[in-house]
Amino acid sequence: MTDLSKLRNFSIVAHIDHGKSTLADRLLEACNTIDLREMEDQILDNMDLERERGITIKARAVRLNYQADDGEDYVLNLIDTPGHVDFNYEVSRSLTACEGAVLVVDASQGIEAQTLANTYLAIDAGLEVLPVINKIDLPAARPQEVKQEIEDVIGIPAMDAPEISAKNGINIHSVLELVVRDVPPPQGDRDAPLRALIFDSQYDSYRGVIVYLRVMDGMLTPGMDVRMMATGAEYKVVECGYLAPKGMIPCDGLGAGEVGYLTASIKTVSDTRVGDTVTGAANPAAEALPGYKAVQPMVYSGVYPADGSKYGDLRDALEKLKLNDASMSYVQENSIALGFGFRCGFLGLLHMEVILERLEREYNLDLITTAPNVVYQITKTDGSEIEVYTPLNYPDPAEIAEAREPFVKASIISPQEYVGNIMELCQQRRGEFKDMTYLDTTRVELHYEMPLNEIIYDFFDALKSRTRGYASLDYELLGYRPSKLVKLDILLNGEQVDALSFILFADSAYARARKTCVKLKENIPRQMFEIPVQAAIGGKVIARETIKALRKDVLAKCYGGDITRKKKLLEKQKEGKKRMRSFGTVSVPSEAFMAVLKLDDDD
Amino acid sequence: MLLNKPPKKAPSEIKPLGLYIHVPFCRSKCEYCDFYSLGGGLNHESMDLYLQAVLAHIKEASQRVVGYAVDTVYFGGGTPSFFDAQGLNRILAEIDRRFQLEKDAEITLEANPDSVTAQSLEKLRRAGFNRISIGVQCDEDVKLKALGRPHTYKQAQLAVSQARRAGFNNVSVDLMFGLPNQSREQWMSTLRNVLDLKPDHVSCYGLKVEPNTPLYEYKEGANLPDDDAQADMYFYAVETLESFGYQQYEISNFARPGFECRHNLKYWMGEPYLGFGPAASSDFGGKRFTAAANLDQYITGILEQGVILSECDTIPLRERAGEYLMLRLRTSVGIEENEYMQTFLLPFAPLEELLCMYEKRDLARKEETGRWRLTPKGFMVSNSILVQLLEAQQKSKPLAKIRGN
Repeated sequence: MTDLSKLRNFSIVAHIDHGKSTLADRLLEACNTIDLREMEDQILDNMDLERERGITIKARAVRLNYQADDGEDYVLNLIDTPGHVDFNYEVSRSLTACEGAVLVVDASQGIEAQTLANTYLAIDAGLEVLPVINKIDLPAARPQEVKQEIEDVIGIPAMDAPEISAKNGINIHSVLELVVRDVPPPQGDRDAPLRALIFDSQYDSYRGVIVYLRVMDGMLTPGMDVRMMATGAEYKVVECGYLAPKGMIPCDGLGAGEVGYLTASIKTVSDTRVGDTVTGAANPAAEALPGYKAVQPMVYSGVYPADGSKYGDLRDALEKLKLNDASMSYVQENSIALGFGFRCGFLGLLHMEVILERLEREYNLDLITTAPNVVYQITKTDGSEIEVYTPLNYPDPAEIAEAREPFVKASIISPQEYVGNIMELCQQRRGEFKDMTYLDTTRVELHYEMPLNEIIYDFFDALKSRTRGYASLDYELLGYRPSKLVKLDILLNGEQVDALSFILFADSAYARARKTCVKLKENIPRQMFEIPVQAAIGGKVIARETIKALRKDVLAKCYGGDITRKKKLLEKQKEGKKRMRSFGTVSVPSEAFMAVLKLDDDD
Repeated sequence: MLLNKPPKKAPSEIKPLGLYIHVPFCRSKCEYCDFYSLGGGLNHESMDLYLQAVLAHIKEASQRVVGYAVDTVYFGGGTPSFFDAQGLNRILAEIDRRFQLEKDAEITLEANPDSVTAQSLEKLRRAGFNRISIGVQCDEDVKLKALGRPHTYKQAQLAVSQARRAGFNNVSVDLMFGLPNQSREQWMSTLRNVLDLKPDHVSCYGLKVEPNTPLYEYKEGANLPDDDAQADMYFYAVETLESFGYQQYEISNFARPGFECRHNLKYWMGEPYLGFGPAASSDFGGKRFTAAANLDQYITGILEQGVILSECDTIPLRERAGEYLMLRLRTSVGIEENEYMQTFLLPFAPLEELLCMYEKRDLARKEETGRWRLTPKGFMVSNSILVQLLEAQQKSKPLAKIRGN
């Protein structure tokens, strides 16, 4: 067990693309934790999807052994964090497991939106923030100015910040020295009852759930009985250890201050929620660590196999994903248009995109997704209360006494020159302005109260495009407020397609209806006859487009030598049609469903 | 009458057979052409070897074809007329010698206006060619040039009158619409001018931009009429030709009564044919096979007993049922319930359900004879229609018992 004074627990925070993952790779390399030939770029991001999108979705941790210039051996635990507002809660838990954060800032770009947002998260978590200037070897590097910016905007000393190039391995050593020198060693009483913070968990088909944790107090040893304080689940620890880049190394015990993992034949990650406290069943701690909350899905969407016969495959895939992702939920749903599928709950739109992409990639499924919605509360005229997770269950307007939708408090940080754009956007999205404060001479923080529904579609994208990527967004749930809601139905060739229905604010219905009809018209190929596309509220049509009849789909020449080729062409066309869903006589490609999910407000 | 009765099964009876000769030589390659042909002009050595190979191929094949009489011969290309008349006549003579060639056989030559003369046409006519299909395509020289056609419209007019003078009383012209920069008005005037030549048969093809052609490379900037414009041109052609007495008997083919191309009808009726020359296809003895699209391989294969086929498939009945829909519905003959059920042992009802829906939308119609055919509007979207019909067919279960049997 490592002496507390020789332990350093830290994470790296940065704006996207400022070099966080590359620096992590270099630190691993510098500590010889991993052979050069085994290096694969960005080892910490080990989901393919993470590597491609350049984002970290699940947090990871790794232990580095480092002999510092003072001749002493140190153990450095590097804890990686996800970088998106959907996963803010996970970020805050990961940071809570550390005492310090290395803040990577690009020497030419300077401070950007996520630099600030992540720094504030680190400061909120009580971490020592250590600035590092990266990409120092780029021609446009301006390290002195960037250091000044850090001092002015964030208000932490930065003049001595190491100037490095993670890509080319320049000055990596100084970052390690900085961590040893400036990250406070962890505190904690190894004789107290066990309290360990779960900051991540992962399902492994051989060992069950692997729980990543930071021991705050006491000792964790194999064989001991532990209890998850929030969920109440109890397990006997099979193994505990720490995390090397190449895998898990079992050990005799983890003491206060240490970061590692435990396995205990846990069958589902739902029992080991991020933020929960692990304590000893025999000698439990009096109080759990602060800050736990049960993460609830905020966004719901219907997920259907594009090929109806793949329903079983989709169910199996969701079951497996759920083992590894406690924040996702799913229940069976039955649409007249799409057949059997699931109503799935997600933390946010990115979470949804990631899950859908994993389903398609890792489980080789073609999916049709319906428009995401929040959870609505309805008081019916008979006095009963219901929660609506899907437009399929939205009651008849005559039965609704009051409809309520969730509101959030949104906080947006941005350079002040974009305030006008932001205000305009928030107003469009039914935002109610609360206040604005200057963080310094150039940066402002705005607070709005707005419906969650307005945020889940494309608000973050719209915000970024209006602020050249500088604004950052955070939001928290305020609760439910009464609202004027309607259900918009879509009709193709006069027949209602239930999977295209959605619930929205009444005043937005007309514009949204028109856009949806246009998008469908653009994305449904012309067919043998004209197809009216209509949007209706309670039977009253409020928008209409027409998909003109296909007039030419013919092979002009077909003689002896063309027959085989023509057969293949028709076969291909038949395959293409199979990938579409038929509604009555209308074939709709899954892209059409996707297109109505992405309605750009700037049109 | 176009409708051929299903072939009787009596083995003693002589069955009809079509022959197709692919002549893969051209003066130059057209911009839109994806047929197998060598566009490099005259190459006497290749042409001579080709001739030897085709003659040998005919001789060899004829020995294995017993009980058939050849009632159609079609020389296609490439540009058969670009091959010298003497060579063509030798091929025809070899066919006559090796096969049982019917006296009234239809013997067609595809020709380009620039590669026929009064003399060559007379020679060919005398040798037995009795139908000529002239590639006119368009009446505007600018467009012909842009397409890479090596002739003018004037040459085309001349070729038609020379063919008449040489004694061809079955003259067909090929036209194309949907050409780069072509307006509807221009197409209308092309049609009217070409009808002044009084052809017996007209083929009108909507230009299709095929991959691996020069046109494909610059199609974006070629100002091609869009699908709607092409459809308008097509419907105009159908109407005009019908009003001038040319009946539409296939998607792209129109003829004065009695002048339908008997050879091409074999393709659409599912009747047997044998192909000679590189890239030529055959449908014979339940198999469909195609020679490699490679002149050298064809020559070596024939003369040295090597491999000449690139494809050879046995077509099961179930697949023939699909071909029946795909090919017959190209024609005005169309399809018929009992014929379909008795030939393929499949139910017609699932198809008729769709056909009735098409009828309501003027895409198909049931004739008084009980046969279903597509309307011109239906022809124009026949791929979409076929996809639906084939899907319905695929799902249908074979009949346990044929009604009336």
